[in-house]
Amino acid sequence: MITFKEGNLRIPKWNRKVFIVAGGTTAYKKYFPEYKLEELAMIAFKNMLEDNDLKMDPLEVKGLINFATYGEFADHFQDQLLCEAKIHDYLGLDPLHNLGIKTGGATGGSAILAAAMAVASGYADVALAAGWERMDEVDTRTGNYYIATAACKDFETRLGRVYSSYYAPMANRFAETFNVSEVTRAKIAVKNHLYACSSPYAQQAGKYTVDEVLASPMSAYPLRFLECCAMSAGAACVLVCDEETAYKLTDHPCELFICGGTHTLRVADRRHMEVPLLPHETPGMYKDLYGKEGARYPGFESFLASRFAAWLVYRMADIKNPLEDMDLVELHDAFTISDLQTYGDIGLRPYGQEQDYIESGDAYYINPNTGKPGKCPSNLSGGLIGTMHAVGATGIFQAAECLWQLQQKYDKFHGDPKIWKKWWKEKPKDWQSLQIPKNSKQALWVSHAGVGSHVTVGILRKSW
Amino acid sequence: MVKKTIQKKKKLETKKKKQTKKKEEIKFIGKVTKIRQTEPRTVIEWPRTLTHVHTYGMLSPFFKGLREGKLMATRCPNKNCPENRLWIPPRAHCPDCHTEMTWKTLPNPVIGKIYSFTEVVYAGIGIELSTPYWQVDVELPGLATIPKSYLLYGKPYIGMKVKAEFRTKNPTNTVLDYHWVPYEK
Repeated sequence: MITFKEGNLRIPKWNRKVFIVAGGTTAYKKYFPEYKLEELAMIAFKNMLEDNDLKMDPLEVKGLINFATYGEFADHFQDQLLCEAKIHDYLGLDPLHNLGIKTGGATGGSAILAAAMAVASGYADVALAAGWERMDEVDTRTGNYYIATAACKDFETRLGRVYSSYYAPMANRFAETFNVSEVTRAKIAVKNHLYACSSPYAQQAGKYTVDEVLASPMSAYPLRFLECCAMSAGAACVLVCDEETAYKLTDHPCELFICGGTHTLRVADRRHMEVPLLPHETPGMYKDLYGKEGARYPGFESFLASRFAAWLVYRMADIKNPLEDMDLVELHDAFTISDLQTYGDIGLRPYGQEQDYIESGDAYYINPNTGKPGKCPSNLSGGLIGTMHAVGATGIFQAAECLWQLQQKYDKFHGDPKIWKKWWKEKPKDWQSLQIPKNSKQALWVSHAGVGSHVTVGILRKSW
Repeated sequence: MVKKTIQKKKKLETKKKKQTKKKEEIKFIGKVTKIRQTEPRTVIEWPRTLTHVHTYGMLSPFFKGLREGKLMATRCPNKNCPENRLWIPPRAHCPDCHTEMTWKTLPNPVIGKIYSFTEVVYAGIGIELSTPYWQVDVELPGLATIPKSYLLYGKPYIGMKVKAEFRTKNPTNTVLDYHWVPYEK
């Protein structure tokens, strides 16, 4: 049984405010022979320094950086230890110090958390958080096996060698416990593939129907290929800094709050515990759900690491109700089921009612039920299913997308035909802007590893 | 004439030999790296074959047990510890109080209930089971955990009763040495 003592539940607090002012990314591709890894990192770095309307010359901005954190998921994908040193040198940042950060799928979020810690503590005024993954040196099945070594090697890896087979039992249990149709999952896939059509960075854009998703080849029942994330090559970065520097660099900085949580690598080992309640939840509300004989929380249905990270960051950032307070969420939709599960963990809906976030239309840019803007749209970037999962870059790419949305720069970073051309694509004639409204104030993103082994929840708050 | 040329040749050869002995050049002893493509950029092949050695450590009895047809679990012997249930996958140390755990063999037949399942259709490279197959998570009485394994035959459903079987002949020396079969009575 997990029981907490007083110190375990201390709410993280920065010693001074932390901001994100700029983001950069490459496009994401299944196979990226055009550039070496360090070249991809340089392209994202230049994008961050040169294209974010910063009030200083790019090299002057670079001259403010005094620390870097780098996210990379797996050494065996890169087949190169100490990539951090190679890329740091390539970006021309020697001899400043850098730290390599590794927490599986949550690596990007963790790299930003580490950069924020450096700024908050005073170690740095300006920190670079960059991440990358090159998953194209091996064929897909070998890539699947590499990823599946992030399941327990003694007791789980041999039973699937593909990560969908560790999420699929959660999907079956979730459907049974909360009475959820697979159509709801398919709708998530349709939505995220569709939003990727507006992104020049997207690897898996497509206009699919629910029927097409459900008819696509099976990976591990009930998860179809169109419900699974991309395996990508690419890089992303953000610039993290203190308050004074933030306003020196831009009139449109966003304040950053971010916390993390961890839970067992094996879902098998999750022992029942009481639900840690979010600010808008009330004691006793889960009595029916988890009061039953044999019921388990978080069981196979939910992620304690996500709940715990949200539990902390909502208190850190004084969030009362995420659905009301957030104008955009970018969730870690590695699989449709993990996206669905997360709605409960971060309180977009109470546990047991996760599907309503999709069915109500709240999760859409335009609510299909009302034709009006969705209450709290999700994964307008196209997410992991539609756009990218170059693992070490993912949590950083999501943060950059949140930043650009709050800064009203969605069109600048997605609608410029030159960006499409830069990545050998043509801007679609029916391109649609997914810019969130001007009065939007806050965006949240979830960076998630394993079957919920590490999770960070970050919040960006418009600060002008 | 003929003799002369032969002599000359011999002289030349000995000279050559002497020269190569003097300058010991480093030889390329690897395999030539294949070029996969040159456009738009050069891409080479980079073969890799590796064998790691891996210890089962203090969990060795579990894997030995499987080979002998036994499912073994660990339990925390500390009477003051709040967790007194069994663990499979086993752990050598209790996560709550850090006490070294003790072993218990579950009496055969081991009967459990399917908690969840998936049909693995597309598996990653190196898969040792023929696809498609049913991967199952099985709830066992007295366990804190829900171990993952596979169903040898039949179609699983949540709540289905299953019995543990062991691969005592030609064991794989891995967790694949036990699996479940339907148990209807």
